[in-house]
Amino acid sequence: MAGYHQNLDQQQAPAFFARGPSPLARLAFFSALSLALMATDSRLQYLGSVREHLMVVLQPLQLIANAPSVLYESTSEYFSTHHRLLNENQFLRKQALIQAISLQKMKALTLENTNLRELLAANQSLEEFSQLGEILHVGRDPFTKKIIVNRGSNQQVVDGAAVVDAKGVIGQVTRTYPASSEVTLITDKSLTIPIQIERNGLRAIAFGHGRDNTLDLPFLPANVDIKRGDKLITSGIDGVYPKGLAVATVTDIQTSADSPFARIVCVPSGGIENHKQVLIVSISQPDSPANTSAVNHQTGNADTAAQTTAPTKPNAAQLPVSKVPVNKTPVASAPATQDINQNKKPANPTPAVVTEPSTANKPHAQD
Amino acid sequence: MHKTKLQTIYLSLLVAFICVLLPWSGTALKVRPDFVLLVIIFWILRAPNKCNIGTAWFIGLWVDLATGGVFGQYALAYTVTTFVAVVYQRRLVLFSNTQQLVYVLLLLIISQLTLLTVKIFSGNDVLGWSYFLPSITGVILWQAAVALGLNTSRPSRSK
Repeated sequence: MAGYHQNLDQQQAPAFFARGPSPLARLAFFSALSLALMATDSRLQYLGSVREHLMVVLQPLQLIANAPSVLYESTSEYFSTHHRLLNENQFLRKQALIQAISLQKMKALTLENTNLRELLAANQSLEEFSQLGEILHVGRDPFTKKIIVNRGSNQQVVDGAAVVDAKGVIGQVTRTYPASSEVTLITDKSLTIPIQIERNGLRAIAFGHGRDNTLDLPFLPANVDIKRGDKLITSGIDGVYPKGLAVATVTDIQTSADSPFARIVCVPSGGIENHKQVLIVSISQPDSPANTSAVNHQTGNADTAAQTTAPTKPNAAQLPVSKVPVNKTPVASAPATQDINQNKKPANPTPAVVTEPSTANKPHAQD
Repeated sequence: MHKTKLQTIYLSLLVAFICVLLPWSGTALKVRPDFVLLVIIFWILRAPNKCNIGTAWFIGLWVDLATGGVFGQYALAYTVTTFVAVVYQRRLVLFSNTQQLVYVLLLLIISQLTLLTVKIFSGNDVLGWSYFLPSITGVILWQAAVALGLNTSRPSRSK
């Protein structure tokens, strides 16, 4: 009898509950594995290609998941009225005509610009290469502002390409997969974008706010020359975004006595969460002959190199000569506060001066 | 013991995963329940010998991939949650329906808290209370499933 009891005591659980290793052991093992994965993924870059390969496996599942919404859209399109289609057709024709005219003007202007640049012996501005992408779905993480578009590395989309819609910049490609790519929106907390105030050419860096769909312009002094309603455009200094695209509009400026900086809130001009189609704009690769001079030029300036998010892109040449600051001494303490007068003749068109503004922007280099 | 085919488990997990892949946006994204975790909890409670912490970890990796976040965060959250589920699994037979519901809610919140911790460590800022809405919708979904006839605690009556 005593022996029987001993036997029973030794067993922790009746045999029919046996499940291999104990839950605690499994927890320890798999948690350690997850933590190791997280560390590898966030600190080292080994898992990028693994992710790409696994995304290919995920592709058919994604197609299945998208099928209902695609089906709904196509059927609703099919049943759309004749009248509506006619109206839309007329509108599009009109728009195409207007755009064709402005395109003609632009061709002439581009030619003129090229000639002028040649006369000034300045670097040619970078050529852009764009393609239309369609948004597959928004990111599944409510913490981040991301969208997935249906163009990937198979379609020559590269990391760092700018993504725009008809009204302005909406984000940047942060990860490319074979048939899709992940775009981080400019309102995401981790994305910064070098901008310029359209009215006075003031340069600054806009940071995504993260929670609501706004942008911040931090680290600008309280007396900065920015007004409500000012338009922000891309400055093009970073070599990632083409120059002159609309980014946002200033909606609110708050100054408080206890802070040396102004709190500036901007609302993006692009339809950050509205559209289905977007344009992916990448600046052409540095191996093309037009940009070789830019690359050579860049090697002499380490500061500009630090600013680019994509390592393969030249950037210094992007800055046009007309944007040379009149006040040539860089302001080290307050970045991006130099006033630039667009209309004034450049004081000195040599490259050394052209790259000067980049030193003022250095503290804002993209993380 | 009731019999659950391994295929049924994986098929249901696949369906849940496709639910995650659906193009959610806006408010729907904010209140979207964690389908995959709900299915895992269901199988952990019903067939713990077929679906365990390893299964949860593995499917968590796929959710990580779909989310596009740092690899391993969902895997970790699912691992921790299923551990709690497994530990209290045997007790669950005695639970009433309401108690079970509270228990599931607790599990979903544990998963979200783990995710939140990981994300805060990696530099996200804290979202408001609305962050926990998916847990509420998850419980509602669970209750709907129970009302439709799925059950975990009385396996003898099911097929």
